Amino acid sequence: MSATVTTGASSRRSPSDWALKVAPWVLLFVILAIVPFQFPSFRVEQICFWMTLAIAACGLNLLTGYNGQISVGHGALFGIGAYTTGILITEFGVPLFGATVASAVVCFAAGILIGLPALRIKGLYLALVTLAVATLFPLFLEQFSAITGGSGGLQITSPQLYRGEMRERPIRLESPVAGLENDQWKYFVFLGITVVIFILSRNLIKSRVGRSLVAVRDNEVAAESSGIPVSQVKIVTFGLSAAIAGIGGSLFALDQGQLYPSSFTIVLSIYILVAVVVGGAASIIGPAIGAVFYGLFSDVIVQQMPDRIQPARAVILGVLLILLMLLAPGGIVGGFRTLQAKWSARRSSAHNSGPSVTGPSATGPEATA
Amino acid sequence: MKKTSIQVSAALLLGFALIGGACGGRDDSSSSESTETTASDSTEAAFIDPAADCTDYKGTQGVTGDTIKIGTVRPESGSYAIYDNVTKGLEAYFKSANAAGGLPAADGKKYQVELIKKNDEYDPAKTPALVKQLVEEDGVFALVGNIGTETNKSVRDYLNENCVPNIALATGSTQWGDANAYPWYISGLPSYATEANAWISYLEEVNPTAKIALLYQDDDFGQSYKAAIEKAIEGTKITLVGEEGFNPLAGSTTEASVAKLSQSGADTFIVGVGGTACPLTLSFVPTTWTPMTMISVTCASKTALALAGGKDQGVYMAQPTLDPADPADQTNPKVVEFATQGAAAGLDEAQIQGGIASVGWGFGSMFAMGLENATTVDRAAVMNALYSLQDTTFGLLRDEVTVNTDGAKDPWAVEGFRIVQRENGAWVEKAPVTNEEGKSNSFAGQ
Repeated sequence: MSATVTTGASSRRSPSDWALKVAPWVLLFVILAIVPFQFPSFRVEQICFWMTLAIAACGLNLLTGYNGQISVGHGALFGIGAYTTGILITEFGVPLFGATVASAVVCFAAGILIGLPALRIKGLYLALVTLAVATLFPLFLEQFSAITGGSGGLQITSPQLYRGEMRERPIRLESPVAGLENDQWKYFVFLGITVVIFILSRNLIKSRVGRSLVAVRDNEVAAESSGIPVSQVKIVTFGLSAAIAGIGGSLFALDQGQLYPSSFTIVLSIYILVAVVVGGAASIIGPAIGAVFYGLFSDVIVQQMPDRIQPARAVILGVLLILLMLLAPGGIVGGFRTLQAKWSARRSSAHNSGPSVTGPSATGPEATA
Repeated sequence: MKKTSIQVSAALLLGFALIGGACGGRDDSSSSESTETTASDSTEAAFIDPAADCTDYKGTQGVTGDTIKIGTVRPESGSYAIYDNVTKGLEAYFKSANAAGGLPAADGKKYQVELIKKNDEYDPAKTPALVKQLVEEDGVFALVGNIGTETNKSVRDYLNENCVPNIALATGSTQWGDANAYPWYISGLPSYATEANAWISYLEEVNPTAKIALLYQDDDFGQSYKAAIEKAIEGTKITLVGEEGFNPLAGSTTEASVAKLSQSGADTFIVGVGGTACPLTLSFVPTTWTPMTMISVTCASKTALALAGGKDQGVYMAQPTLDPADPADQTNPKVVEFATQGAAAGLDEAQIQGGIASVGWGFGSMFAMGLENATTVDRAAVMNALYSLQDTTFGLLRDEVTVNTDGAKDPWAVEGFRIVQRENGAWVEKAPVTNEEGKSNSFAGQ
């Protein structure tokens, strides 16, 4: 387990250092607060989708980044969360966010089930098992079309008054605040849930449990001999990771109001993994950055490209990924850390005072936020 | 520590939300040049009254000066890309109209059409974001010629709630018959149920004890046929002796199903599948089985039937339109106009004769008719015009097919078919056009 990089400066921070640390966060919050007022509602809904992806990536990050178990099946867990929510609301009239909680529970159980083989197999073999889950999921949805709607889709509806009569209408989050339109309200609700999930994950990682996750990742034998219940840790992490992905899926269902199997193919699983890797595995904020990066790429940049090039979007994304991995193997956050470390090293050598940065390469996965 | 960080974040978030709210709402005028308009027609109660049915009605969004912005969503890539030819025909219609000065409207002006196309790959999961972008960012006046049943269904609530016209849907699903609930949708094709009814009516005439083997696409499209056939044969001596569903997404062919149906003892074979699966189905029919074969209108184009390996000879269909590849139709003024103007607008010979682009051409013509008949250039006025058509025609509809609509009672524009049989690449009339005015909804089974 790698140690947190500590420098002499951190114990007695100067005001400028403090401002440097806080300023990006303030800027981020300001941007997040302004965004829904600057764009048309379909863009705001797209950003809501990116948030659901970020939540799923946060869940996968716990598993892959911190616990070292590779899953290519989180798209299926995301889908289970989404369909659980859709079916509970449409068929059983469960309140919207009650369905989210139920989806988390269902996905926790599903995660444990999928995670069971992880006790025996690891690495690429585990990736293959989860790959199978991701591949089979859309076929499973087609097969049980009586419940899931199959390729015709699942319309998430509730009885509402429309044109003078009660009809099954698509669900919506009605804004209770006068100045906020429905999509803006949805944005802030989603943002709140996303932030809470990321903070809870951060706290989990910084806790004793988090340290045991990392210990299992780094060396199972050593962890076992230090008294960490490796099997339990691995399986519960799988469940927890799945539950978080399920919450993401549930919010996706609330965002879209209708679900189709084509949204939950293997491609989604890969994109969730891409979000983790691009943002920076084993950094808390990394998956969120990766999800935004992916969202910007697929929903904004690709749309601007000429029609003829659009079908090649996967190729373009692939090339970008290869470049990124060459330049910054630790993802965006890893790259940022490298730059930061280089910068502070140069500064300290220029001043010729204070200790230089020591410890492991800043680009590698670390157990820090 | 844990609690405080959450509380601080929540407080920050809420604070900024309030600041953001105080900074003023979204700039409504950014996406369009819309003006709030009130209901225009006053003499008789129009089908749509935006003052009563719409909140935040933007009746003239997408109309600037003498330009009108239209959006369309279609599969440009993916396994249904063959339908992109519909959009090519639509585009050719507008190009041709623009070159001739524009589409005439009630205000005496002629409007140039700007067509914005999006590619949803026939995937209803992709359609909503693209349609919303067309409406909210590109600021289109209406959508014309959107392709696909599920894709159109995925935005039905959104478009109807926002009072955005979706004109000439390239789908004949029986769902579009519910204009009272969804008045901003109007199909450009006949109902699949009406087509199925035309088959059965003809069978009653020529083979009243027909034994039908039915192959249907196991989705909304094929199930529309199945339900309508079951309803139409009630009370007749015609029986359904075999039926097989086919899932086009499963990656298999219809070969096994055809083999099974050929053993059912049927003397009539109805092919209720679309896409390339339909002509391939014909090619799978064993030589030992010679039923009277009825094919879906979606399969009857020259482009599709070329894939049948010669087995399209002798098949029957219910035909509402002229076929630009049929020598008997090629002298019809509508076909001549399409062929010359379409070629001038960039369609090649294969597209003109293919029978798919001509459908899109018809959709453009349907929109033009709505714009011309509307009392003002306004979304509701155009829809009201399309829902009160009287004895008119558009596109390449056969001359005997009459177009009459009434939003509340008769939402289907095209309800007439003739029965034809394929002979040497042409169609031979077996029964003349019957117009089932106002009856389409009653043919839809459960």
